[in-house]
Amino acid sequence: MTTLVDGGGPQSRKEAAAAEFRNFLAFARRRPGFIFGLCVVVVTVFLAICGPYIAPYHPERALPGAGLQPPSGQHWMGTDVSGMDVFSRVISAPRIDLAIALSATLIAFVGGVLLGVVSGFYAGARGIPRVASEAIMRGADILQAFPVFIFALALVGFRGPGTENVIVALAFLNIPYFLRVTRGAVFQVRERPFIEAARCAGNKEVRIAFVHVMPNALGPALANVSPGIGFAILLTAALSFVGAGVPKPTPEWGSMISIGAPNMMTGQWWTALFPGLALGITVLGYALVGDGIRDYMDPVNRR
Amino acid sequence: MRFAKYAGRRLIFLVPQLFVVSIIVFFLVRLLPGDPAFLMAGQFATEERIEELRSTMGLDQPLYDQYARYVTNVLQGDFGHSWRTSQPVIEDIKQRLPATLELVLLTGFISVALGIPIGIYTAVKKRGIADRVLFGYGMLAGSIPDFWLGLILIFVFFSLTGILPGPIGQLDPIVSTPPRITGAIALDALLGGHWEAFKSAVLHLILPVATLTLVYMTLIIKNTRTMVEEMMNSDFVQHARAMGFKRSIQLRYAVRNALPPVVTVVGIVFWFLLGGAVLVETVFAWGGLGQYAVESVISSDYAPLQAFVLLAAVFTLLVFLLVDLAYFVIDPRIKT
Repeated sequence: MTTLVDGGGPQSRKEAAAAEFRNFLAFARRRPGFIFGLCVVVVTVFLAICGPYIAPYHPERALPGAGLQPPSGQHWMGTDVSGMDVFSRVISAPRIDLAIALSATLIAFVGGVLLGVVSGFYAGARGIPRVASEAIMRGADILQAFPVFIFALALVGFRGPGTENVIVALAFLNIPYFLRVTRGAVFQVRERPFIEAARCAGNKEVRIAFVHVMPNALGPALANVSPGIGFAILLTAALSFVGAGVPKPTPEWGSMISIGAPNMMTGQWWTALFPGLALGITVLGYALVGDGIRDYMDPVNRR
Repeated sequence: MRFAKYAGRRLIFLVPQLFVVSIIVFFLVRLLPGDPAFLMAGQFATEERIEELRSTMGLDQPLYDQYARYVTNVLQGDFGHSWRTSQPVIEDIKQRLPATLELVLLTGFISVALGIPIGIYTAVKKRGIADRVLFGYGMLAGSIPDFWLGLILIFVFFSLTGILPGPIGQLDPIVSTPPRITGAIALDALLGGHWEAFKSAVLHLILPVATLTLVYMTLIIKNTRTMVEEMMNSDFVQHARAMGFKRSIQLRYAVRNALPPVVTVVGIVFWFLLGGAVLVETVFAWGGLGQYAVESVISSDYAPLQAFVLLAAVFTLLVFLLVDLAYFVIDPRIKT
């Protein structure tokens, strides 16, 4: 991603970075969706750090005699059936949701990229590397034969509910996505002249794969991180909703929706509406950031 | 003839896939922390039951022996016992599968019947209000959790306005269940001519089907739109345009060639629907396989869960097999 400024004459690193930043601002200004997404990311990260501290009520403590109160000045989003303040819980939830989604996506990113480089770089080679490359791809195929949510449910079901098991299940499920996009990028990078040059300079194949190809093939996987986080948050909420994810009463959007579900039938809409809105906006925001980053990295789509 | 050859090759390919899938499902039990026989038997199991299970699972035998035993059992329709319903798992599945299939297939068909025309329409009529509305809808549908949407629909159409029945399963409790023919209640009522039951079953179907359709149809709309747009700009349609063909004929060429990739997306939608059905069934107390799976997870009833995962994978493999075969039939570039 080099940026040409003033005909590409010699320039300091600092100037180049500044130019890149100006480019980025100009790009973002034309895309309200991207800005919205960035705001969502900033707000959720802020809430993940500070949410429980700025919450007006304790997110896990029930207020005696204050069950199912409609939204009011005192309880902005009302209270749930046991008298917990919905607003406090909604803004405390990003802590656990983001922690799970971030760690799962990070593990999937690292695993997927490494496997993707191996499978892409050695595709069409001879001997053991080729077998490894093929095996990785067939493994990804098989993993994707299981519907995502059902496989997550099964993994958590057999390992028992709990935060770590949700992370492991989500990481496992997301690996194929990172693997496939990285493999595709590796296919393009490995044909470029500088790889040939590295080979002529006497580098070992393994070194070429991980030192020369990998850093240049990270783009698509990086663009996939943000939507990956959004997707992981959605799955975490779904697992918690059916009772196989984060245990109650930890504030988590999916489990809040499940607490509020019976109230929806009797008309107390606020208990499930607000956590669902927060969840939907968050997932949408992370997806939009992903779209924006993808377009930004592709010069053709920048305009 | 070529189709038969292709179908045969594709069917043979199914064998190794099923093999690997069964290995993975077999190993799920190994993920259990502790003694699998003890845990599989459930918390109310007697000492003999655990011993019996230990010997049917062959836990003291080598791993490949255990696997062979597992496959033999599955092929004979023996998926073990559910300690929660105290029935063989296969019986439970037979009871619940039609309800889930009814939900998934109906949603799938409606999504295709509505999604493809809408996709074509938006590909042709760009920059209208319809386009804007659909763009917003596409954005939202990808992010909204299906189980939450189900609850919102319940609130609006049941608790607020009372137009539709609440989330109490497939039928009103006061209506007698029609005699079982296929197992899908709406269909049974229709076939048997029980109009009261049919009306009730259809009313109960509306909200869950609407929930799933709203969330998953967008994939079909988006892809149809992109493919038709791409085809409208393709060389052969431009050629038709240059020859002075009417716009409707140009569109027909474009749609005809845009369909094959859309079929793939339809397959993916069915793949997603099975997962979505698990959640939506839970919301609507549907009593199908999905709800059964969730209840099994919550009560640590492992035999049904294992069977369900296997079924889901087999369902997926079959869906993608059908997609490949359909692709072969409708792709004009592959002439039989």
